[in-house]
Amino acid sequence: MTLLLEGLSKRFGRVVALDQVGFRVEPGEIFGFLGANGAGKTTAMRIILDILRADSGSVSWRGRPNTALPRRTFGYLPEERGLYPRMRVLDQLVFFAGLYGVPLADARRDALGWLERFRVPELAGRRADELSKGNQQKIQFIAAILHDPEVVLMDEPFTGLDPVNVSLLRGAFLELAARGRTLVFSTHQMEMVEMMADTIAIIDRGRLVTAGSTREVRRRAGRTIVRLAVRDDRDLAWVAALRGVKVIRSLPDISELSVEPGIDPQSILQAALARGGEVTCFEIADPSLEEIFIELVGHPVDEGTLADPALPAESAA
Amino acid sequence: MSHPDGGILPNARLVARREYVEKVRSRAFAVATAILIVVAVSAALVPIGLRALNRGQVTRIGVVSSQPDTTARVISLVSDYLNPVAAGVDPATVRLHYVLTAQANLATGLANVRAGRIGSLLEVSIEPDGGLDFTFHGNDGPTSGTIQKLQVATFGAAVIVYSQNLPHTAGGPGFHQPAFDLQPTDGGSSVAPVDATVTGSRTLLASVMIVLIFITLTIYGMWVATSVASEKASRVMELLISAATPRQLLVGKVVGVGAAGLTQYLAILVPATIVLVLQDPIATALIGRADATDAPLVGLTLPILLAFGAFFILGFLLYAFVYAAAGSLVSRPEDVQQLALPLSFISLAGYFAAISSMATINSSSIAFLSYLPFFSPYVMLSRVMLGHVESWEIVLSLGLLVATIAGSAWFAGRIYGAGVLLYGQRPGLRTFLRVAIRPGGG
Repeated sequence: MTLLLEGLSKRFGRVVALDQVGFRVEPGEIFGFLGANGAGKTTAMRIILDILRADSGSVSWRGRPNTALPRRTFGYLPEERGLYPRMRVLDQLVFFAGLYGVPLADARRDALGWLERFRVPELAGRRADELSKGNQQKIQFIAAILHDPEVVLMDEPFTGLDPVNVSLLRGAFLELAARGRTLVFSTHQMEMVEMMADTIAIIDRGRLVTAGSTREVRRRAGRTIVRLAVRDDRDLAWVAALRGVKVIRSLPDISELSVEPGIDPQSILQAALARGGEVTCFEIADPSLEEIFIELVGHPVDEGTLADPALPAESAA
Repeated sequence: MSHPDGGILPNARLVARREYVEKVRSRAFAVATAILIVVAVSAALVPIGLRALNRGQVTRIGVVSSQPDTTARVISLVSDYLNPVAAGVDPATVRLHYVLTAQANLATGLANVRAGRIGSLLEVSIEPDGGLDFTFHGNDGPTSGTIQKLQVATFGAAVIVYSQNLPHTAGGPGFHQPAFDLQPTDGGSSVAPVDATVTGSRTLLASVMIVLIFITLTIYGMWVATSVASEKASRVMELLISAATPRQLLVGKVVGVGAAGLTQYLAILVPATIVLVLQDPIATALIGRADATDAPLVGLTLPILLAFGAFFILGFLLYAFVYAAAGSLVSRPEDVQQLALPLSFISLAGYFAAISSMATINSSSIAFLSYLPFFSPYVMLSRVMLGHVESWEIVLSLGLLVATIAGSAWFAGRIYGAGVLLYGQRPGLRTFLRVAIRPGGG
């Protein structure tokens, strides 16, 4: 009853796009797919959609191989947004839903409903090349879900959206998930994943680095994060003397400390109080996904995107 | 790719309809069609225009023989044939297009030709058995209308002269088949009149149809390739192939563009054909009844129209699938040209073969080409119109064509499925072949 990827490998010439990647997504879950550009996210999505064939490995949904599933099982929001530039928005939406087998009248009604919901009913008669980037993205999202697919695959759905539209889209995500739809989205924006993914997978240069529920992945690091603020002591220089503790981020009013497994965070609080400082903030937390990503992959997610010059962009795949 | 989305039809129809509507609605389509209609109708009006131009023009032919009687009789008979009088027209009001005048002797006649007083000279030789032979001194080639008409007219004159000279007793000489020779008289100032009704309207018609097929295959083929390439360029392609199978998209595209092409075609052809069919009434209305003769559409029969339709549609399908595959391999519509070039060479070769085959239409190499798909739409059509074709040959040619279309559709689907996800490839024949052989590779 899951979306199951097993041992997917894909090479493009000398470039390994995917190397034995496997993970599972449960129905009704929101799944975040993390990785830098060129890590293999798009290739994996295309293989799930069966518009690209893996060299080895398999994909199944509810126990059936993806090659035996009708295309309407999936909805897809490609990373490279694309609509017919000269076609009217409503016509395109109805056309794409029609390809998935939705009767034209239903498609029309639902499309107008979604436009309303995204607060852009006036776009129905507009040509796609007259739309702003954000609006085009909304249309693209509607095109992906208008046929009410069981699984929605979205490649970087939040890129280029302003906060208002991010929250509109997030609302739509949550509603679809509540209706039992399975959502897979890729991103390099950690906060989006933290905000809405139930499960995540981190992929780096074609290899799966880690996968699991968001909380589990954060816990698995073993480290703890302590956020600490002491009045009139911005540097917290004394922390360097503590074993297994180091300052990883100094913000004007707060510092973040990384605490190795086996060290009790309470000892830091005691040390601060013992020094006679006035502790204004003390918080114990799991490491952020950003920190986990750096720890596992070795660099921040938006660095080293062009790791391999032979792979100019992932879409070359 | 075997897919549970099964049938080609529902989605192919959607794709075809979208393609058709968007194409036909576009301004470029309307403008191009309007221009082509004007061009085609003007072309159809050319013969009438030429007739109008020729109206005042008179072809002067001198006639000479050793006997003034024979000269006069030939002049009278040939003149009657060359200057037909339309029914119901008073012969007295008809302006003669051909004026035949007797010449004193050959030398005088030739001198008059050189001086431009007459355009050409018809020399009548009286053979010992009383039969007539003819020599035409002039610059008209054997295909000119004047010569064609003269040949018929002189033959008729020879028959009549022969029958009138038959002795009353039985056992006269047998009929002498008149010879008709052409003697060019270069250097004369005679101006051969432009002749609108070139002989063999079949040849003309065949050339026109072959040109039309050539234009269709290349231009509408390019439409297909460009349309596929722009879907790639606008990146709408990725959404398309996640919604429909490559084969559904491919068939829909080819049918949609084909239908748009056919629409343009009919928009052009219908008014042009009406003008051609109504040539005589139009000519009569414009330039008067007496000058309006010769319908140029002689030889256009239903089987020929059917053959044209079949080869037009099948030829388009064959080429369109290959063009679609080519379009799927480039990233920008501008790059289509590079891949389309080798294709248009194939098309051009068939076109040339068909045009140049008109003289040797019944040769075996032409027969071979007329079975060969990619060439048969041109060459078989040319054979059907100008040569002798057995019905099994047409069936074989069409059968091979249909089989090849199926093959090229399959092949194109394979390339298309892989090609549409390829970006930044060098558009060239090598990419094309590499993808065709290993669609999964990078």
